[in-house]
Amino acid sequence: MNPTENKTVCSTEIDASCRVPLLALFGGAALWLVLGLTLGLAAMLSFHKPDMFADCPFLTFGRAQAAANDLLLYGFVIPAALGVMLWIFTRLSQAPLALPIVPVVAANLWHVGVLVGTVAILIGESTGHPWLEYPRPAAVLLFAAFMLIAVTAVATFGARLNRELYPSHWFMFAALLWFAWSYSTANLFLVSNYPPRGVVQSVIGWWLANNLLFVWLALAGIGIAFYFLPKISGQPLASSGYALFGFLTLVFFGTWCGIPQSAPVPAWLPTVSSFGALLSIIPVIALGIVAKKTVSGAKVACMGGPFCFIKFGVLSFVVSSLLYISEFCPRYSRVLDFTWFNFGVTQWQLLGFATMILVGAIYEILPRVMAKNLPLPKLAKANFFLLAGGTLLFVIPLLIGGLEQGMKFADANIPFADASAVALKFLRISTTGQLLVLLGALCLLLNVFVMTIQWKLGLIKTVIAAVTAPLKTSEVKS
Amino acid sequence: MSDENKSCCHPTATRSSAPMWIIVVTLSLLFFGGLYLDSHSGWFDAKVYAPYNSAEKLEAFQPKSVAAAAMARGKGLYEAVCGICHGSDGAGKPGQAPALAASEWVTTKGFNRLARIPLAGVNGPMQVAGKDWNLAMAAMGAALSDDNLAAVLTYIRTSWGNNASAVTGDDIKKIRAEVGKSPQIYTAEQLKALPE
Repeated sequence: MNPTENKTVCSTEIDASCRVPLLALFGGAALWLVLGLTLGLAAMLSFHKPDMFADCPFLTFGRAQAAANDLLLYGFVIPAALGVMLWIFTRLSQAPLALPIVPVVAANLWHVGVLVGTVAILIGESTGHPWLEYPRPAAVLLFAAFMLIAVTAVATFGARLNRELYPSHWFMFAALLWFAWSYSTANLFLVSNYPPRGVVQSVIGWWLANNLLFVWLALAGIGIAFYFLPKISGQPLASSGYALFGFLTLVFFGTWCGIPQSAPVPAWLPTVSSFGALLSIIPVIALGIVAKKTVSGAKVACMGGPFCFIKFGVLSFVVSSLLYISEFCPRYSRVLDFTWFNFGVTQWQLLGFATMILVGAIYEILPRVMAKNLPLPKLAKANFFLLAGGTLLFVIPLLIGGLEQGMKFADANIPFADASAVALKFLRISTTGQLLVLLGALCLLLNVFVMTIQWKLGLIKTVIAAVTAPLKTSEVKS
Repeated sequence: MSDENKSCCHPTATRSSAPMWIIVVTLSLLFFGGLYLDSHSGWFDAKVYAPYNSAEKLEAFQPKSVAAAAMARGKGLYEAVCGICHGSDGAGKPGQAPALAASEWVTTKGFNRLARIPLAGVNGPMQVAGKDWNLAMAAMGAALSDDNLAAVLTYIRTSWGNNASAVTGDDIKKIRAEVGKSPQIYTAEQLKALPE
């Protein structure tokens, strides 16, 4: 905590180097978030009025829900996380972004990939594997874009002036590696010309879903939170050894989960999953405790600011991860299978944990990168309450409804249709929450877009000013 | 930016390591998880599926010989086709079906009479194990294959204290040919007129 003299200059320079790449990543991501949530809402509306989109195949549940899930993960969470990670890499390196043009190209490639994938799902060309619905062209674009951004991050790290490693580095490096590894592996297996046959496909699908939604989100989200929590609270991370322990147990055990108990596969697969899930309790608790210790006693008011977002995100990480782990508890999981419970947990992980931390980080980063205050600070504040309240209102009814549904499914005297219908009253509340989340996402979109437009107008003004400025006398040739 | 000075210093971390208690908890979870893995994984055997836990347990369900396999198949078929009326303990049900355990119709030396009952059915008054019955049984076994019917009859003849000879598929084939394709339902007298 002893800034040398040139650092203040340095950090503005560093932030300026991130400006264009980050705007490209965040702008698209915010748009995809709004679109994804809108599609998710459209999908849920089929439960309120089943014939609403009967004549519109694009918006039938199967397509809209898949497109919405993928837009949340690939459209918002991953590009936003990559943007935030790039910025943290530059800040921790105390060096400007290396190869600043590469992430701009990559961001555009990524967004084109998401667009191609989403359109493909909506016209019925999805691959049919959950979380891997994007057909091959889109998957190739996403992977190429990811690798380009990862290379930029590594180059920035290599050019660092501050040699010391910080816990966020481990998490972010692991996240870069983890996505590249699991996404390419799963795509090579499932979206290739020679996919493995039979139930192996499902096993690979479960493995990917677990690695993206549990391990990757935890690595990226906690890596980012471990940068911002100490920074905003002004207290050191407590402690690096504890964080290392959480990190190692997470990457070691987290990746074993994912195969449901009811899977029609040899008994060792679900058993190993349950074993991994049991031990994954440790990193979740450990990382939660590190975050708690870091912020406890901090005298920083959060009132709807980035600190609020990130604290809520870490709390969501602990709760949603424990709920996720509970899905692999042998007896209990038989009740929860095929209910709304799993859907609720996934949405909590994506919205309550990842989106929350990322939106908070974006609000923290954007003013620095643009060297300008947020254009709509009130909306940013409202965003926290809409997103936090909306997420809880969205997922908690789904969890309770799922439990009730599961208990009814387990009772042989209750017809299947009746047991399914139990969830309807919960879905009514849950859709209200989804609407609030969507409003929150609109706040983010407005802030990012107004900021981009202001910046572009500023650029145009500078150009016009430069063109129309009277020539200096020294430059006038006589 | 008012906090620009603060923001240029990147966050630090204190150096202490993870506390002992969480390492102890990890190790104990590893221990209990290991016990669970040991008892439920079937030791990574590709043939072991839930709800079975181990290859040994599955092995116990596998018949040890051809005769044992036929017995196991006979038991399964008996319980699906015959056991509903005759009872899975072979004791019969009052007013529904006579006993097969210790029944003189079952434990005969040959099975020429016995095999015709499931093949063609039996009707009218009949004395079984000292009790008088007057019911009708349809040709419940006519749809079974020769080998399957032989397995069921073997099961009946050697279970619940019965100790008569086994029946083979070829025997049933012969009797089925004698009975004919659309057989007349037998009465007890007609059966008794046939050789054992």
